[in-house]
Amino acid sequence: MVSFIFQRFFQAGLVVIAMSALVFCGVYAVGNPIDVMISPDATQEIRAQVIARYGLDLPLWEQYLQFANRLIHGDFGMSFVYGMPVGTLILSRLPATLELTLFAVILASAVGIPLGVYAGYRPQSLASRVIMTASILGFSVPTFWFGLMLIMLFAVQCGCMPAGGRGHTATLFGIEWSFLTGDGLKHLLLPGINLALFKLSMMIRLARAGTREVMVSDTVKFARAAGISEGTILRRHVLKLISIPLVTVFGLEFGSTLAFAVVTETIFSWPGLGKLIIDSITSLDRPVMVAYLMLVALLFIVINLVVDLVYVLLDPRLRKGRA
Amino acid sequence: MTAPLLQVTDLKTHFHTARGVMKAVDGVSFSLAAGEVLGLVGESGSGKSITGFSIIGLIDHPGRIESGSSIKLEGRELVGLRANELRAIRGKAISMVFQDPMMTLNPVLSIFTQIKLALEAHGKVSSAEARQRAIAALKQVRIPDAETKVDFYPHQFSGGMRQRVAIAIALLHKPKLIIADEPTTALDVSIQAEILAEMKELVAETGTALIWISHDLATVASIADHVAVMKTGRIVEAGQTLDVLLKPQHPYTRALLDSLPSRAEPGTMLARGSSDGAADPVPPPRRAGADQNRMPKHGVPYFVVDGVSKHFSKSTGLLHGLAEKAGLTSPVPVVQAVDNISLTLARGDALGLVGESGSGKSTLGRIAAGIYPPTSGIVRLEGERVISSGRSPKKITTRIQTIFQDPFASLDPRMRVGDSISEGPLAHGLVGRAQAGEYVRQWLAAVGLDPAFAGRYPHQFSGGQRQRVAIARALAMQPDVVVCDEPVASLDVSIQAQIINLLIRLRKELELTLIFISHDLSVVRHLCDRVAIMYRGRIVEAGQTAEIYENPRDDYTRRLLAAVPVLPQAMPADAAVL
Repeated sequence: MVSFIFQRFFQAGLVVIAMSALVFCGVYAVGNPIDVMISPDATQEIRAQVIARYGLDLPLWEQYLQFANRLIHGDFGMSFVYGMPVGTLILSRLPATLELTLFAVILASAVGIPLGVYAGYRPQSLASRVIMTASILGFSVPTFWFGLMLIMLFAVQCGCMPAGGRGHTATLFGIEWSFLTGDGLKHLLLPGINLALFKLSMMIRLARAGTREVMVSDTVKFARAAGISEGTILRRHVLKLISIPLVTVFGLEFGSTLAFAVVTETIFSWPGLGKLIIDSITSLDRPVMVAYLMLVALLFIVINLVVDLVYVLLDPRLRKGRA
Repeated sequence: MTAPLLQVTDLKTHFHTARGVMKAVDGVSFSLAAGEVLGLVGESGSGKSITGFSIIGLIDHPGRIESGSSIKLEGRELVGLRANELRAIRGKAISMVFQDPMMTLNPVLSIFTQIKLALEAHGKVSSAEARQRAIAALKQVRIPDAETKVDFYPHQFSGGMRQRVAIAIALLHKPKLIIADEPTTALDVSIQAEILAEMKELVAETGTALIWISHDLATVASIADHVAVMKTGRIVEAGQTLDVLLKPQHPYTRALLDSLPSRAEPGTMLARGSSDGAADPVPPPRRAGADQNRMPKHGVPYFVVDGVSKHFSKSTGLLHGLAEKAGLTSPVPVVQAVDNISLTLARGDALGLVGESGSGKSTLGRIAAGIYPPTSGIVRLEGERVISSGRSPKKITTRIQTIFQDPFASLDPRMRVGDSISEGPLAHGLVGRAQAGEYVRQWLAAVGLDPAFAGRYPHQFSGGQRQRVAIARALAMQPDVVVCDEPVASLDVSIQAQIINLLIRLRKELELTLIFISHDLSVVRHLCDRVAIMYRGRIVEAGQTAEIYENPRDDYTRRLLAAVPVLPQAMPADAAVL
């Protein structure tokens, strides 16, 4: 087990190094940030000064080494646009996105898994058919349209929900959170639902497929033959047997939502990472882009590691030997 | 006389599907006294399992117990009870054990959790009490070291141990009736013998009545007081076990008994049970020009397996390798599947390879067939290598072919069987594209199938027919040696008889050399003139079949033979009466 974790950290290290090189070179190839940063009528000296200040006159590999060296010391550089350290900038935006994403993913699981298990348990019933049809809608309706509809219905027509922003925030561990105040929760609800929709449909489909498969297995027949009630069978046997694909998708979706909640954040003007990255791409703010992509790679690595560890927790067959 | 424990009257369980009504159980009546053991025998599709599920109230949609049926347990009518009332009976008054212990226990819950859930199903228990009862239950089914084993997960147990755990769960609430659905079919013979003996003791100890559902007449004979023979949803014959087996009245029972190889003279054709009544297949076509270089070579033994070994080792990662060098972790153990085995076969020999699961018999068969390259040693056919030497060894002859256990798994489900059969011969130029269709039809006829079946897909065949397709495919390569890996293990006895007859005939007509791998000692005795007993990768005893079966010299062979359940044979006196 320890050697497994050790091995995974080793792999993660390699991935981070490869990722940093890829990202740095990839971003380097995109446009010239100087043109964006200084006014066109600046003199040649000022231009050269700025280029030298940001180290843009050095060859690519030297720039990369400098970058890597700063990275090791936890310094992501200065944002060209905001003029503040990138680390601080990203950290100021991360909690908003983290909060929104967690809310959406947990909402999707808490609602989707029970619905899916029910649909798999009684596949013929009317309710199951309604659930399954709704889940197809959830897959096919575009996020931006659904978000706009939510705003129109609840914020414009009925006026009971705010159309955007984070609302009042309260401080916990020195970070601002929306979910701690009533007003903040209200602001969180619509974007959360919008973001959860696709994941909800996915959870329903996965849980249903797993449940249908497990319900006809000998394990369930044997449990029934022992007189165990249907509720206990679903809660204790079925849920645990179908959990591995669910955890996999939970992890993957959590990662990708965290990284790419852009559309929802834009529609609900949620001041999160998604907006930051879009802004920095349009203004060619290289340090922010690089730091953001590194953060995303790191997040996926951590989430995958956690998912693998949860597998071992869930399935005793994986505990012996190498996974 | 008191009322019977279980009284089943005119039980009808029908499945209402879009394609019509399937009458799985169609008017079954029997009764069972307390402590009695009833054997319910029949081939697949006879409705024996559905009868069991009907009694315990586990018939799922679209199945339904029809009105007019009655199942009375101690006088109480079970048909028509509400789901809740049935659930209260299940596990408490009636419990059930299933065929495959790998599938019945939940792999992600510990044995203790599963026993606790079964206990909580019928009343509150504290955790400490549950633990105590779980340990006692495991002890009752003779699981050693129950105090530690109770926290194990199913994958940490062997197949026989898992089945014991399942039986322990079935016995938890001291039920009046246990329904056992093929509980030993998935187990090795020696473990089957242990479970049978323990089941008999447990039934006697606890006074539980038992319904033992099986396709195997011999196991039923060794445990049941009464048997009922089922066919297409009905009981065709019932009575005292000895009466039914020795003096069968119904033609179906007689046919079932006659198709057992253990009751026939070795090497003779078996009576073909309940089959469709079609004549045995017509002889196969002559080989087309394949005989020119098949003149026997003098001085060279025909087929030789020489000092063959096979290890399986897990591939280790770079890090593990480094850690191993540094002494941080121990090396991954190597599995020695086949350990220095030598065999020689003459042309036309039939050799039986017998052993329990894990004995290495299948691995040896695959090495002989050129599918696995051996770690060391060599396989030769008429002096020529079967597998090329070098770094990535390949099979270099088509003269050895294999028939696998599961024809469903070995045939491509998306390929017409005709194409499956002609694929190999076409690739090796044994037949031209123009004649391929005719060639396939000839082989299908040779294995007793309608030549028109060439255009069908594997799922459109029954199990026995599919196995014939697999045989046709192997033989269409015009092999001299055929390795059969448990070709009849998953088939009903009457279909098993068909396949055995086919192999006996084809062997004679084509002068085939057979290597027949099986765990079923009676089939091997019937088909093979030589036998090799394998145990843990080695051959412990080999020789003429009759000799070894009469006078086994090795301990393991003796134990193996003793474990085989045998049908009671008619006494000479009985024969005189008849």
